[in-house]
Amino acid sequence: MAFLVFQLQAPLAAWGEPAVGEARGTAATPSHSAIVGLLGAALGVDRTDEAGHAALRDGYGVAVALLRSGSLLRDYHTAQVPGRAALKGRPQFTRRQEMAVPKQDLNTILSTRDYRQNAACLVALQAMVPTAMPLEALASALRAPRFVLYLGRRACPPAAPLWPQVVEAASAHAAFNQYAQRFEAARQAAADPKGRIPLEPLDGIERLVFDERVQAGVAADLSTRRKDRLIRRAGWQFGDRTEHVALLPREA
Amino acid sequence: MSRFVQLHLLTSYPPSNLNRDDTGRPKTALVGDANRLRVSSQSQKRAWRTSEGFEAALAGNLGTRTKRMGKEVFDALKAGGIDEKNAREWARLVARQFGKPKSEKNTENDADLEIEQLAHFSPEEKEAIQALTQALIARKDKPTDDELKLLGQPRRAVDIAMFGRMLADAAEHNMEAAVQVAHAITVHKAAVEDDYFSAVDDLNTKGDTGAGHIGERGYGAGLFYLYLCIDRELLAKNLGGDAALTHRALAALVDTVTKVSPTGMQNSFASRAYAGYVLAEKGNQQPRSLVQAFLKPVKPHGDESMFDKAVDALEARCKNFDAVYGACADGRFTLNVEKAQGSLQALTAFVAD
Repeated sequence: MAFLVFQLQAPLAAWGEPAVGEARGTAATPSHSAIVGLLGAALGVDRTDEAGHAALRDGYGVAVALLRSGSLLRDYHTAQVPGRAALKGRPQFTRRQEMAVPKQDLNTILSTRDYRQNAACLVALQAMVPTAMPLEALASALRAPRFVLYLGRRACPPAAPLWPQVVEAASAHAAFNQYAQRFEAARQAAADPKGRIPLEPLDGIERLVFDERVQAGVAADLSTRRKDRLIRRAGWQFGDRTEHVALLPREA
Repeated sequence: MSRFVQLHLLTSYPPSNLNRDDTGRPKTALVGDANRLRVSSQSQKRAWRTSEGFEAALAGNLGTRTKRMGKEVFDALKAGGIDEKNAREWARLVARQFGKPKSEKNTENDADLEIEQLAHFSPEEKEAIQALTQALIARKDKPTDDELKLLGQPRRAVDIAMFGRMLADAAEHNMEAAVQVAHAITVHKAAVEDDYFSAVDDLNTKGDTGAGHIGERGYGAGLFYLYLCIDRELLAKNLGGDAALTHRALAALVDTVTKVSPTGMQNSFASRAYAGYVLAEKGNQQPRSLVQAFLKPVKPHGDESMFDKAVDALEARCKNFDAVYGACADGRFTLNVEKAQGSLQALTAFVAD
């Protein structure tokens, strides 16, 4: 069967968990909704396009190979806002205009935003329904996206091309291994005349995380529920999704 | 037209504390297992979008800074034969569009017609205000809400068009940001240093010995890598397809990101710095930052220059990405201050055309 595999690498990434208010946590692996959002951005699906999002959500089974879980960065985030009374009857077209009030009328909003530092993973998609957009079309959209891509937050741009590849394999696990081999071959082929090989090799797979629809090729060590199945984009509504996790011994 | 423009900047900051955490120390991040100083994305954007230069650049450098636009309108209305009471009320409505009034009440020196802070008026805005004033005189009626809102809206919407807006209770005003800004990190390993300081009590001549006050403050210095990606098509769309305005917005952005530093502790450190190196890339390919050039922290040996090594690492990564993944951009432009290569004007032309 065919899989679309691509990589996500960045010094900072944020895979949001359910968060209301001040604490904005992050998981180690991308949520299902984050991947739907990423594909949507590549294809130019507008935020208000519920049908477009639903098609992406239902169209593909998702598996994630965690290469590096990275470490936690807890960012102390402040934002200044004038009180409502100070803004009354005044235009706020620009940030500078909004803040053009006497200093004592400015309040500070605090939040704690978590990031994963130096995290890296691979994502595999398997088409689930005949009406799903072909994997090749998704791959071209990722190569020349309509909107900018980011790893969970807009301030987290990818630090390498996603390099989407359509791979024929018996399982997602096999597809990840094939992708890694292709990447290594591409690196070797790009060696300079002195034989120096550019870029860093990919890390081995630490953990495989997949939903129940995908052919993973490994047995799950544990199954958890994650609230990241997109229900309605406009209202930020998310439903439960079962996620299986397989811990893999690192290949030397 | 290429959809994306990516900017990679290297800016060297002297000892500074530009962006602080909850304990008042400079923010940091771990990149490639080495500690770095960090200036968050939101801190950079705040400095840029609230900077005077940003506003002035968009006004074409010909604008007027004043608190007294309301008074001008008042005088014009009175000269046009509007009675004092109405003229005062209508002029107040216009003035309010640009800032908080100094006074709600009618005072001797017309404080109700003045706003508390200086506002910048572009030539277009002044024309729009004059046109509105004449219209009011002609029809002898107060301005409508829509007329007031329209005063200067196109220019004023530029920073929202670039950096977006999210309002939970008024989704119709939301706008998708056309400019993506990453957290800036130092290209080298950097530690947060401690400045232990004491202050002398000038009037304490004999009596107690020792300092009048002691304290400590974290700071750090470093060469920062900044990355931003501009979606030019989205920016044009956000600005209502106004090509001239989009052009000016891009020019203002280039000018601001290369020159404006975050405001944190500038009075203590005066750490304002201009970018020393800029690589601009244009294309429809998936944008990616070049931060991995610094996965291995830059470490000059002997009399090697930190700046030159960082530039070499950045350019090598750019070339290697092309070699392994295929061309990542259709066109590139480089500005290097140390080599006196390129100019801001040429960079702006590259980005905006």
